[in-house]
Amino acid sequence: MTAADVRDWDPGDGRISTPSAARAPAWSADVPVRPPAALPPLAPDRGPPAPDWAEVVEHFREGLIVCDAAGVVRQLSPVAERLLPEVAVGELLAASGVAGLRTPPAGGEFGHRGRRLRVREVPLSAGRSCHYVEDVTESVTRADALLAERARSAFLAVVGEKLGNPLHPDRAAAAVVRLAVPTLAEVAVLVLAPRSGRARWWRATRADDEAPGVDSGVLNAVDLPAAIDEGLVGAEPHTLDWLVEQAVEAGWLPGLDAVDVSVRVVPLPGRDLPAGALLVARRSARYYDEADVDLLRAFAARAGAALTTAVLYRDQAEVADTLQASLLPVEPAEVPGVQWGTAYRPAQAGLRIGGDFYGSHRLPDGGAVFFLGDVAGKGVEAAVFTGQLRQCLQALHRVESHPARLLRLLNDALLETTLAHGQGRFATMVLGVVRPRRDGGVTLTMSGGGHLPPLVLRSCGEVETVGLSGMLIGVVPDPRIGEVTVELAPGETCLLYSDGVTEARGGRRGDEQFGVDRLLHALGGCHRMPAPALAERIEQVTCDWLAHGDHDDIAVLALRATGPHSRPARHLHAVPALP
Amino acid sequence: MTVPAAVGSPADACPGFLLALESADEYAAIETALGLVDAGVPAERVLLELVAPAQVEVGRRWASNAWSVAQEHAATHISERVVAAVAARANPRATRGRIVVACMDGEWHALPPRLVAEVLRLRGWQVTFLGASVPAAHLVSYLHRHDAHAVALACALPMRLPHAYRMVEACRRSDVPVVVGGRGFGRDGRWARRLGVAWAPDAPAAADLVADERALRRVPPVDLAHLADDEYASLVKRRAALIDSALGDLRARVPGVREYDAVQLDSTVSDLGHIVDFLAAAVFVDDGTLFTEFVEWLTGILVSRGVPAAAVALTLDHLAGELRDFPRAVGFLAGGLALLAQQAGASAR
Repeated sequence: MTAADVRDWDPGDGRISTPSAARAPAWSADVPVRPPAALPPLAPDRGPPAPDWAEVVEHFREGLIVCDAAGVVRQLSPVAERLLPEVAVGELLAASGVAGLRTPPAGGEFGHRGRRLRVREVPLSAGRSCHYVEDVTESVTRADALLAERARSAFLAVVGEKLGNPLHPDRAAAAVVRLAVPTLAEVAVLVLAPRSGRARWWRATRADDEAPGVDSGVLNAVDLPAAIDEGLVGAEPHTLDWLVEQAVEAGWLPGLDAVDVSVRVVPLPGRDLPAGALLVARRSARYYDEADVDLLRAFAARAGAALTTAVLYRDQAEVADTLQASLLPVEPAEVPGVQWGTAYRPAQAGLRIGGDFYGSHRLPDGGAVFFLGDVAGKGVEAAVFTGQLRQCLQALHRVESHPARLLRLLNDALLETTLAHGQGRFATMVLGVVRPRRDGGVTLTMSGGGHLPPLVLRSCGEVETVGLSGMLIGVVPDPRIGEVTVELAPGETCLLYSDGVTEARGGRRGDEQFGVDRLLHALGGCHRMPAPALAERIEQVTCDWLAHGDHDDIAVLALRATGPHSRPARHLHAVPALP
Repeated sequence: MTVPAAVGSPADACPGFLLALESADEYAAIETALGLVDAGVPAERVLLELVAPAQVEVGRRWASNAWSVAQEHAATHISERVVAAVAARANPRATRGRIVVACMDGEWHALPPRLVAEVLRLRGWQVTFLGASVPAAHLVSYLHRHDAHAVALACALPMRLPHAYRMVEACRRSDVPVVVGGRGFGRDGRWARRLGVAWAPDAPAAADLVADERALRRVPPVDLAHLADDEYASLVKRRAALIDSALGDLRARVPGVREYDAVQLDSTVSDLGHIVDFLAAAVFVDDGTLFTEFVEWLTGILVSRGVPAAAVALTLDHLAGELRDFPRAVGFLAGGLALLAQQAGASAR
């Protein structure tokens, strides 16, 4: 919408003119503009009582100048007289010297004696013509002010939308300068509050074609222009020549001429001290007036909030990530003759940690302890508990490597913690020891604490369920713990998984459990698969079954006997783990 | 001129490489690829002219039922190891910004984006590959922590397009430019245009696109005004009911279905789910060709597994009746039926 649209706005309520002199000025914005020459000549007077036209015309908001066929002014209404004192009755209108009357500008508007006038010429009968002259100064000013205000709020709305989302701090900084151009500046420079003596800056420069170009850099804090320093402690330096000089000296204003530039600096409010200072510059032709500076401050408030939030968010995410990383399962240790495969998908995707855990520790005799389990609950608390469990096992496996005895030790340790804290958690788990055999197979000794029994994929393609039961770990002092020994020939795989797999809800109505039968079927024909591919397959079929519903934590640990014929592992060493 | 046999080209090595994939011989596959790299073939060519075409062939063999799912999985896993080995051998130095590469949520075809990731890495970008089926929340929180020059998202199945759109929006809210790729956006990327997101047909094109910041920022307008008719939202809401009624209809009309065992029933339900999901995706992007292309693909898969194409026609017909208040969906179903009729006519002749 342009200013012209607002000015030509027709109320559409049939108000054409207002005879009341007292109200006349108030209606000035409502006069509809008719295209010239479209009106028929005024109808002749008819019927008594004849109105006194001169009296009526006197109260018109528009001034009237009636000229004869020769262009000589014949009649002049009082309003016209006041607006155009140069025009006199009996003289040629063209001789009045008012340029806007001789060659009417587009839209019929022109400035005259500090007023904004709108004129339209209407042909009358007998070659005569009438100029209608209206003073539109106020409505134009009002419309312009309205549009400017509207543009300002639209700009701030866009800024709010762009900066309202949590962004990475660098993204937020780049977005701030990009948004400032071209509305606020031709060049915008954001200097962040220095950290350890160095200040990072971002700059957006207006490009003629499209999006502004953004670049960035680092300055030593001592080299910052004085005006920026002031901005960084919250002061708002005034537009002075030295401000321009400083900006030019810093090399921040490419394409702008130092003598013809207007610069402002505003602080961007932070939590305590400003988060940074924003320098805006544009040609002096667009000097920063009061309204511009108000807009700049409003922008700075939003930008400061966005920068502060971004840093806060990033710092918190960093802390959370570090803590999460310590709670994530560690990939199993490499053991000769064994290929591991794992999959891990926590219930809360954004959190990336959960109550399932797995891992392995190498034993001095060449074998390894391995385990997979599930603690009661989900989320952060459950994850913290898995961390405690894993640390316990890390320490305990050094003193005890017999699976059932190790699990008992763990049970005692957990119970002790529970007693000490007055509250506790429990876990289900399978814990085993793998020992390579001479023939390339492996022997697994496993003990179970209330967890789902392991599955074994035989080389003939058969899938066996290992009979392994036992009680929960961390509940009673001397739990019944199951024990079993399984031999894996080369190429055979043992699979541990958490109940997130079998209890995944999905299917036709979305409420059916995936179940052991579907898992067994999905494993059919998979006996030749490498262990990592097998683990990933289970993760995939489970997630496909979920059909994007909520799910419990999912963990899979596959252990494959690679056999004696496996080539030297040097190739594998060259292959980094998939991220 | 004769080329020394030891050097060879990726194309020459392909049959041997496929043989290694078929026998799940990880070492042989890695040796073949590294042999090419060591003989001076650029790593990018090994990835794009050996691993990529072999993977296309693996997909074809699965679709034609020549290979089992397990075989396909194993082969894909080995290809991934090969990609990792080739990348490690080339060991490029990162000199440019960070690019995050990820599969859409629910999307498991990780090898193509992995190839894109490695090509970008070979061209000097610092690449983070987040892997298969990345939840949007995970991706967004990653972007909050690590500033990325761009995100490359892969989508192999058009039925994930609505998810893809949400994921693209999430990245946009983080003010990070997005490039998408994969067959899910159509052979010519037309559904990427519909969603208003930059699209690259292959890895080199993706590399060119991320290198051009202005092209990245130049986002085509989103063209989803048709969603105002609520057909997509209603279809999603009625998904379970539609599958249920379609299954009931099959049971009533096809005698064999009543005797299906649990496994057959599961796979039928899963196929019906795909039909509804692809129909919903077609409604989402308002393009009937999405659905017809899917019907063509599905009948190919089913026929190779002994399920007659007529069964698909029955279901489409049934859905058209159930969805009579959904003019766009009904139109797309009619398109699918017309294709099936045409195929039936062709095979009868």
